[in-house]
Amino acid sequence: MKMRNYIIRRVLLVIPVLFGVSIIVFVILSLFSPEQRAATFITDVKQLRDIQGVIKMHHLDAPLYVQYFSWIKEVLQGNLGWSRTASRPVLEAFFYFLSNTVELGLFSAPFIILIGIYLGSTAAVHQDKSIDHITRAVAIIGWSLPTFWFGLVLLMIFYGYFKGLFPPESLGLSSNLYVNSENFMRFTRINTIDALLNREWWIFIDALRHLILPVITLTVVQCALVMRIMRSSMLEALGRGYVTTARAKGASEKTVIKKHVRRNAMIPVITVSGYLFAGLMNGVVITETIFNRKGLGWWWWRSAVQLDIPSILAAVLFNGVLFVLTNLIVDLLYAYIDPRIRLG
Amino acid sequence: MKKWCIIGMVGMIIMSMSLFASAQEVKNPDIFVEATIGTIDSLDPAWAYDTASGEAIQTACETLIFWNGERTDSFVPMLSTEVPSVENGLISPDGLTYTFPIRKGVKFHNGEPLTPKDVEYSIERAMVQDRDGGPVWMFYEPLLGVDGSRDAEGNIVVKFEDIDKAVEVKGDSVVFHLKNPYPPFLSILANTWGSVVSKKFVAENGGWPGTEETWKEFNNPAPGKETLHKIACGTAPFKLERWDPGVEIVFLRNDDYWREPAKLKRVIIKMVDEWTTRKLMFLAGDADTVYVPRQYIKELEGVEGVKVYKNLPSLTQGSAFFNFKINPEGNPYIGSGNLDGKGIPPDFFSDKDVRLAFAYSFDFKTYIKDAWMGEAVQPSGPIIEGLPYFEMRYFLEKKFYHYDPKKAEEHFRKAWDGEIWKKGFKLTILYNSGNVQRETAASIFRDNIEALNPKFKIEVRPVEWANYIRDIVTGRLTLFIIGWLADYPDPHNFVYPYMHSRGTYSQWQHYRNPIVDGLIKRGIEAVDPTIRRRYYEQLQMIYYIDVPGIGLHQPLARHYERDWVKGWYYNPILPNAGLGGYFYSLSKG
Repeated sequence: MKMRNYIIRRVLLVIPVLFGVSIIVFVILSLFSPEQRAATFITDVKQLRDIQGVIKMHHLDAPLYVQYFSWIKEVLQGNLGWSRTASRPVLEAFFYFLSNTVELGLFSAPFIILIGIYLGSTAAVHQDKSIDHITRAVAIIGWSLPTFWFGLVLLMIFYGYFKGLFPPESLGLSSNLYVNSENFMRFTRINTIDALLNREWWIFIDALRHLILPVITLTVVQCALVMRIMRSSMLEALGRGYVTTARAKGASEKTVIKKHVRRNAMIPVITVSGYLFAGLMNGVVITETIFNRKGLGWWWWRSAVQLDIPSILAAVLFNGVLFVLTNLIVDLLYAYIDPRIRLG
Repeated sequence: MKKWCIIGMVGMIIMSMSLFASAQEVKNPDIFVEATIGTIDSLDPAWAYDTASGEAIQTACETLIFWNGERTDSFVPMLSTEVPSVENGLISPDGLTYTFPIRKGVKFHNGEPLTPKDVEYSIERAMVQDRDGGPVWMFYEPLLGVDGSRDAEGNIVVKFEDIDKAVEVKGDSVVFHLKNPYPPFLSILANTWGSVVSKKFVAENGGWPGTEETWKEFNNPAPGKETLHKIACGTAPFKLERWDPGVEIVFLRNDDYWREPAKLKRVIIKMVDEWTTRKLMFLAGDADTVYVPRQYIKELEGVEGVKVYKNLPSLTQGSAFFNFKINPEGNPYIGSGNLDGKGIPPDFFSDKDVRLAFAYSFDFKTYIKDAWMGEAVQPSGPIIEGLPYFEMRYFLEKKFYHYDPKKAEEHFRKAWDGEIWKKGFKLTILYNSGNVQRETAASIFRDNIEALNPKFKIEVRPVEWANYIRDIVTGRLTLFIIGWLADYPDPHNFVYPYMHSRGTYSQWQHYRNPIVDGLIKRGIEAVDPTIRRRYYEQLQMIYYIDVPGIGLHQPLARHYERDWVKGWYYNPILPNAGLGGYFYSLSKG
């Protein structure tokens, strides 16, 4: 009961958070003149001929509070507006781009977290030995690599040198035409999952081929953070009294590490992993751009650059929900990992 | 770290150049893939006013007449069986009536036959819709003699009756009644806004049913609410299969086409933002043509399996426009706002000697070499190469401004009764950040003018595009550098925005010349080409003498394709002409 109330209270927290951030965005927008905002609608300089028309069409000269309340009214009716950068309604664009982002996140996050945890605990267990140095060096190099550069190098090698072994985009030409035909049922718009549900193994394999390079890119670049947190957290746990006690009681080193050290070291890793996963769900602009997998990151980057206000507001709302829920899940996981932590 | 990055970069370039050098087999022989960066705004011909949308619309829809191959001054019949002319009697001698006999046996993609009613409906629908900032002014100007359907306040000011009467069905033909003679009218109809769509299809999808009672409801729709935003039903050799905005658009061959079906089965236009990814796709054969930003053209030089067409004249011009009446309100770009050596007065450029001094200070050769890698020509005025009446007297006499510091100094000394030379000035020239060409042009002005007199100070500053546009339209810029792309290949489409008191650019410059306005009016209303030529010669000469702006460049385009592509040709007026061009003519193998 206590737990249920806690969850309900945390979920309801989303409402004031969203309200607050949407007001902040509108206040920031008030810093732009109608002409500046109209300029973002100009796709061709020929439209300068009628810039006042553009201002009128989009009500850019209306007072800010009028614009805000008309937006709120539309949102409450389930209409998030029109995304100019995606040329479709915001909600439709959101679900369209979400599928690519979720697919990349679902495949990357386990690798990033598990490899990070494994490398971190290995390094901690072998502190100051060569394996620790190598692991840390590799992780730091990975962390330092510019995503942009690393992704392009991978693409040149595995798409260029190995003649299309791991290509960019989400699917190959034939698969793409097939999944968009009447013969293929779209359940989730996530290619791998839909391929499995349709039992189209060749589509599944093709989708995996297209995922390999972006997943490697994200894993190499991002797992260093998890690894570093895991290592320092493990080192801290290894020095605790209960570890000494466990060893004194004759527990094997494997049991000590697995049951007493790793479990206790997981708390900070869960926090980082939660935010990391939220970040992945939010889209990864550079990876999406290099591998031409249009996801939320790509869409919101374009929206920000082109001042596509309805899309920016959608991004803000989504992030608000995402981070409130991520915090909640992280808190629940704390309680699960460490029963001493009580929520409420 | 830096060293490793440089080594890595060099390695990447070498690898990408060499990896694909070996001969490849044709991938997907009946599918043509174009990898580009332009975002399609809408598939509605009456809405779209950008080249990416235009290319898509042109693939799915057809017009009454179309450009004759590479020519911009000659047409071939499409949905009309003849190209109207005075000689064949389909244009009245007074130039006010155009008759198009409509082709029989043509079917829309939904299987419905094309009728003259559909043609009438398509043009009237465009005029009914007439969105703000859209292309339909091009119909209103010749047919009704007004700019559009609404006034500055947004009130509808035209009557449906006038729209209805402007386009009429007569037997098997469609007749257009013009308010005044308008020689480029055929060019307007040949472009995508003149596309013919199925009336039944539009009405079935919630569009204007063609009735007077409802027409105002369909005027100026909100973005995305235009009926044909994401659907299409034309008569073209390809039909729309799927459009994923921002990602790709796919067209399927129309096997029921009224001419021979296209050789390609599918055409796919993909949006690939990152240049290296696009290049790799092109070299791997996954794209047949690709958009190459000018700064990367050397990366595809001499690559085996790639065909490059160079020096293709585009119907685009970039110019520097002087602001005759700068808005001084809170304007940081004019310093003190006075001629005291610390700023400029708002009417600084109203003195012709200042404008001439700026013109003679600009090193065109260096600019074209540095900013355009030599692939541009210097325009001689608003009317550029590729437009009718270009080969004129002034051109033959080489009336160009050229870099001449002595003449520049001479004019600066004369300007403002010698006050400028004595006291100096300080002003700011802006460019939109990331635009290398505009930055180079502004820097050339700065370097060459500051070299003339140490009291001359010019600051060159980048701003975001939104701020750049805001400052243009609010009249705050001292001079602005911007380009113009032809809507239709006729001098009127250039002299009006450049010189008319209500022109797109001249109005922001506050350039007013009643003689010019009169000549522009007479030029567009003259039916006789000899007389038109005379007016445009005069306008071009006035631009040269009056120097309201300086033509900086007319870019020369390039086209890249894999060597298995056949049938491509260049017509500069086609949307995205340097990419796929006209897909019907293409094949692979």
